[in-house]
Order: sequence, then C-alpha cells, then structure tokens
Amino acid sequence: QPGTMSLQGAVRRSFVALRDQRAAWRSVLEECDPLMESLGNLGEQMNALSRVRVSDTPLRAFPDLQERLQFQLLQAVDLLLQRLRDRMSCLQSIRDSVGGHVSAALQLYQDSADGLDVAVATQRSSVAPSLADMLEWLQDAERFYRRQFLQRKTLLLTLRRDDRAQLEGAAKAWRSLDSPDAEQQITGEVITHLSHEPMAGRYYIKSASPICEMD
Amino acid sequence: MSEVGQNWDNISKDTTYSVPADVPMSSSNTKFSAVTGSARKIKDNAADWHNLMLKWDKLNNDGFQCATNIVNMRNSQRDQQPLDDFPPAPACQTFPSAVQQQAAGAAELQDECSRLQAVVDRMVVIVAKMEHLMSVQRGIQDLEEFQFGPEGRTLPLCHSWKTQEFEESSRVLLAAFSQELKLKQVILQELAHTAVADLHMVYLSCWLHQPFIPAQTRLALEALLLETGHRSL
Repeated sequence: QPGTMSLQGAVRRSFVALRDQRAAWRSVLEECDPLMESLGNLGEQMNALSRVRVSDTPLRAFPDLQERLQFQLLQAVDLLLQRLRDRMSCLQSIRDSVGGHVSAALQLYQDSADGLDVAVATQRSSVAPSLADMLEWLQDAERFYRRQFLQRKTLLLTLRRDDRAQLEGAAKAWRSLDSPDAEQQITGEVITHLSHEPMAGRYYIKSASPICEMD
Repeated sequence: MSEVGQNWDNISKDTTYSVPADVPMSSSNTKFSAVTGSARKIKDNAADWHNLMLKWDKLNNDGFQCATNIVNMRNSQRDQQPLDDFPPAPACQTFPSAVQQQAAGAAELQDECSRLQAVVDRMVVIVAKMEHLMSVQRGIQDLEEFQFGPEGRTLPLCHSWKTQEFEESSRVLLAAFSQELKLKQVILQELAHTAVADLHMVYLSCWLHQPFIPAQTRLALEALLLETGHRSL
C-alpha cells in the first residue's frame, strides 16, 4: 500500500506539472503566431518585388533599388527565423520537462509494480480515474508534445530564406499543425481531474486527508 | 614618446575653435566632457545625428501608417468602381449614393495624401539639418588643415579617429538619408496614382524597409557615438 500511495502522489505531481507545461506551451505558441504572420507577409513582399519590373515604373530613377530592397527583406526574414528558433528552444524545454515528469512517474510505477494490486490499479469510479488511466494519459501527453515539437521544428528547418512561395505559405502551414481537439482530449482529462478534490477511490483508504497538498 | 614637444603645430589660437594644440585625450568621459572647441563641436554633432535619426524613425512609422491607408483606400475604390470607367449620366442619377460614396472616398484619400506630404516635408527639414551638420564638420576639418597642415593634428581629438573620419562618417550618413528622402518623395507622388497591387506593395516595402539606410548606416552612427564618448566602450 505505501508503494501505491507514493505512486499516486507522483502521478498527481506529474499532472500538476503537465498543467503548468501546457500553459507554458500555449503561451510560446501564441508568441509564434505574429512571427509567422510577419514571415508570410515578407514572403508576399518578396513575391510582389519579383513580379514588378522596376525599370517600367517611376522607381527606375533608382537603379540599384531592387537589390537593396531584396537585401533588406532577406535580413528581416533572417531576424524572424532567429526569433522563431529561440521560441523552438522554449518548446523543446517544455517537451523535455513533460518527458522528465512522465518518465519519473513511469519509473516509480515499474519499481512498485510487483507490490501493486492490478485490481486496485485498474479500479475506476465515476469520480475518479484508475491509476492505469492516469499513467496512460501521461504517456499520451508526452507523445503529443514530442510529436508537436517535431512537426513544428521540421517546418521551420525546411523554410528557406529565399524561397518566396514557401515563406508566403508558412503561416498557413504552421496553423495547420494546431490540433486543438487532440490537445484537449489528452491534456484536458488531466486538467479536469486536477481541479477536483483528490480522488476518493478505494486506494485512498489509508489516508483521510488529501495526499498532495498542492493545488 | 612626447608628441607635444616635437610638434610644430603650436600655432596661436585666433579662432573660435581654440583648443590647446594636441592635448592628448584620455578615454575617460569625465575629462572628455570638459573639453571645448573642436572636440566639443564634434561630440555635439554626434548627439545631433543620433537625435535626428530618432526623429526620422518616428516619422517613418507615421508615414507608413498613412501610406498603408492610402493603399487600402485605393483598393476599396477599385473594388467599388473601376476608376477610369465613369458610368454614363443616367446611371449616375439612378445610383447617386455610389457617386457620393466615391466623392467621400476621394476626400478621405486626399486627406491621407496631405498627411503623408506633411511627413515628407518634415523629413526634408531633417535632411537639411543633416546637411548643416555635414558643413559644420567640414568647417572643423578645414580649420584643422589650416592649423596643422594637410596631415591634420597628430593626436586624435576623441579616442582614435583622425578628424577626417568624422567628415567621412557624416558624408556617408547624409548620402544615405538624402537618397532615401528622394525615394520617399517618389513614393509620395506615385502611391495614390497606382492601381497595380504588386507595385503598391513594392512602394510600401520601400517605405518601410528603407533600402538606402541599411544596417551598416546604423552601425556608422553607433561607431560615431562610441568614438565621441556618448556610448561607453
């Protein structure tokens, strides 16, 4: 039973951490939105410049204008890509943090697996998920963030500063990686159950007060 | 080694830029700020350059707003009705509101163009002030040549630059802003008369990104500020 208690506690701590990391993840993604929009806009500007024959316009008075403007636009793109790479580092930290918490919980589970009653572990009630459920959610969450990070990182890596068409479509491609339903499904469960009083399932019999003093 | 002793430039000072000949400048700002004469003028110039560029940047942002509005208005005008395609008189009577709309739109567009004109006018003033800074710098250079000969003074007025380098810096900055101003004047003239979407975008890009004032120009200013002690090394 003590093994179950500490496992329960570890799982709950993981949930709390996951809730915080989810908020952090969303916040970083929000920061990326305007950056991606700007990137797309710069792509548009570069495309417009390529379609205009400057010598046919009043701008012909400035013979080196086209190269100079192109240079400025490329510089602006570089700056944005750098800032996006910084955001990616943040996402990577969050992914790693989630991974760390989840593997700690799973490790604890494996250590106490021998002493664990399967019936107890899979016991779920109307107000409480089972231990098995919670461990599964943790794994789903870890997988979700790992996948999201990989997709977004790959998208950024394939962006070429001089590929105008790609830049113009970058914002749309980025948005298409959003999967709010999946996120809600996976992490939503966690948040819901965290906001309730600690579960009053059978395995709480030993202790009368909430196991985890957090939240 | 003692430059002062060997220096033939101990000419008497009978000008307003009186500075003891070839006093070595220490790199500490406190001592520097007590300096008068040419070094003081150069330092003030650098501060003026910095302030003028700040004003320019603000105007550039204001102008970009106007320019964007102009383009948007042109686009909605074009969507409402083909611009060179006025309906025959009977149709006008049938759809008076469309014509009124067009008139109101034209007035709004005119207002926005006036605002942009005002921005460009203020930029003209800034470039004129920059020209003045340039001529002051040339005056300092000329004086030094008079006092010390074509080689100039042996010890630098500030940290390490020869006095001529200040003039060159000023020239680079002035050239950049003058050219950029010319570009903005063209954009001002053409923006409201263009109907091509791509060209609109290019005009806006030009205004915003200022192709004749690249990052190197900003760095030139930074170097000037460093040299004159406005920024610490």
